[in-house]
Amino acid sequence: MSFREKSDWLSFISLCLLGIYFFEIGRGVLGGNQPGGPYYYFTLFWVLVVALVVIQVVTHIVLAVRAPQDAKTPLDERERLIRLRATQPAYFVLLVGAFSTIGTMHMGFNTWQFAHCILFVIWIAELLRYGMRLFYYRRAV
Amino acid sequence: MTDTRVTNAIRRLRFEHGEMTQQALAERIGVTRQTVNAIEQGKYSPSLEVAFRIAAVFGQPLEAVFQYQPGA
Repeated sequence: MSFREKSDWLSFISLCLLGIYFFEIGRGVLGGNQPGGPYYYFTLFWVLVVALVVIQVVTHIVLAVRAPQDAKTPLDERERLIRLRATQPAYFVLLVGAFSTIGTMHMGFNTWQFAHCILFVIWIAELLRYGMRLFYYRRAV
Repeated sequence: MTDTRVTNAIRRLRFEHGEMTQQALAERIGVTRQTVNAIEQGKYSPSLEVAFRIAAVFGQPLEAVFQYQPGA
């Protein structure tokens, strides 16, 4: 497995961490209450973002140290093609999600809910982007 | 993604050039080993530039390395 494929796996898995936040948001919305006090979501969000950044930085340093030559190799044409193909469906999801989020303004969503809809769409699009890259790497495009 | 209709003789040519490894070929043509593997297995058709570089490494004309199979 190449450095970039490992890197994409790490990004995909660490991004999944943010699912905890959206799960909690969903639980709060469906339950109609805010669990754990007024700063619960704020704290949870930043703890997960910091955890994501730390995991990404540390694991990428470890990967690069273990395979320095692989890490230094520039993107080749196949990898660029994989990235391009993976970006297409993710961008589509991002666009549809963004326009759907605009639609929520007419459903009485407040600023907090609107912002979370946008965050959720970005998260899904990023997951899809990394997921599609891994799919193409595995399919040996 | 389906296999391409472009076949190649890279595996044989590597063997004939002192069992050149995929990594060694990859370094000489400026791609990753995984890309050489994908080309060799017919999973990925390289650009003309990379195809010419591969042919140049083996000192062969392009058509001796890559063959197009119409209707395959």
